[in-house]
Amino acid sequence: MSQIKISDADFERFRDYFYRKTGIYFGDSKRYFVDKRLIERIKATGHRNFRSYFTFMRFQASGKEFQELVNLMTVNETYFFREEYQLKCMVESVLPEIVQRKKKELIRIWSIPCSTGEEPYSIAIYLLEYWPLIDEVDVEIVASDIDTKVLEKSKQGIYNSRSVQYLPREILRKYFKQLSGGRYLIDQDLREAIDFRQINICDFEDTKKMRDFDLIFCRNLLIYFDDVSRRKAAEAFYDSLNPGGIIFLGHSESMSRITSLFKVRKFPQAIVYQKPLTTWR
Amino acid sequence: MALKKARDIQKSKPKEERRSLKRNFQGLINQLNDPDIQIRRWAARELAGFEQAVEPLCRRLQKEQVLSVQESILNSLLTIGGEEVVKNLIPFLRSDDAGLRNKVIEVLQALPEAVAPYIEKLLRDPDSDVRIFAVDILQVLPHAQVPEWLLQVIRTDDHVNVVAAALDRLAEVGTPEMIPALLEVKQRFANEPYIAFAVDTVIERTKSEA
Repeated sequence: MSQIKISDADFERFRDYFYRKTGIYFGDSKRYFVDKRLIERIKATGHRNFRSYFTFMRFQASGKEFQELVNLMTVNETYFFREEYQLKCMVESVLPEIVQRKKKELIRIWSIPCSTGEEPYSIAIYLLEYWPLIDEVDVEIVASDIDTKVLEKSKQGIYNSRSVQYLPREILRKYFKQLSGGRYLIDQDLREAIDFRQINICDFEDTKKMRDFDLIFCRNLLIYFDDVSRRKAAEAFYDSLNPGGIIFLGHSESMSRITSLFKVRKFPQAIVYQKPLTTWR
Repeated sequence: MALKKARDIQKSKPKEERRSLKRNFQGLINQLNDPDIQIRRWAARELAGFEQAVEPLCRRLQKEQVLSVQESILNSLLTIGGEEVVKNLIPFLRSDDAGLRNKVIEVLQALPEAVAPYIEKLLRDPDSDVRIFAVDILQVLPHAQVPEWLLQVIRTDDHVNVVAAALDRLAEVGTPEMIPALLEVKQRFANEPYIAFAVDTVIERTKSEA
């Protein structure tokens, strides 16, 4: 049994600090979740109580321990049609607006980090299935990640049943071929349609090449970054988007906390961030 | 299916990247004053690779009105880092532009080692607003001396708003050893109900750790 306890005051102190740094607020109902992870890190770092751990974490110049905590508090897994309300927002609200502005010109979408490919393929499937203009407007999807191994997996397009568990049955049938061992292979046309590239979002030379996008999906990446990297990423996205271009972040992320370069747009389905149409403030 | 494979990466390079202009240090410094916003912004971003760009970037920041260029300049300064950046950014704490001032505070917060030698002087600044901005820098500054600096503020500062700001930060980093100083400040500002409330909050939080 653990002897380490998190008091109410400890919890409040941690909650305020974490909120200020990340924008993520833990309600009282999350108390057990937070305490458990805090105690885990207190033990792992060899501290005897919350106070000594908090001081260590709060004043550590590298911010490494804070990032460890962020990773623990925000564990995510990827799967097809994750946070589907944003995909809905794309086809029902965002794309109609962009098409109106660009007429029938090519639309370019960037998915980063694409990890093992669930996100860019979800975007592609969503467009094909739910966007009425897909036969009239050309769309390019560029998917990138810093990790070449996951890019390789994306290109192979083989997924387990957990990854596809939220896909409607008819979509699964239409775009996937069942393999042995409960695995699924995604349609070859889709694999060929998406351009997978290795990009480090914090590397200026890498991101210089990423231009003229209308939409960026960058969900649940910035939360894992330190403040400096987050600002660099926001700069890169700003330069990568066309004026009026839109960026989708994860539900617990907020661009407003990183930079004032983007405008907040509230659509019925989701909140997104937009590069202003003019660069004059 | 109207999904198209992306264009060749070379073709998708922006105009700025297709230019033939040589991008040496002096060329980039000249471009910082270009009337074209995009050119200024790109020059500012590229100057992140030059340590000697601190002064010219700060000079540009003084007159730069475009938000996106301001951000590029500040991010490049943050990338360069070090004491030279801190020294050149501190005067911006007196800027009338609240947005710029707040961004400067954020950059300073991200440079803990370089900003540390300047904190005490800022906390003694004759202008109470500057002292509040110094306390703001301490808000998330990852530096071991933060509690000590805050304690110094509540012990010595006469301005109620500066002390209130410091108490607010102490709610997070205060320790039981600070209780006597906290009680003292409550007495010093006996006519300020907010100070009493803030002190009680800090004490409540620190006591439960004891």
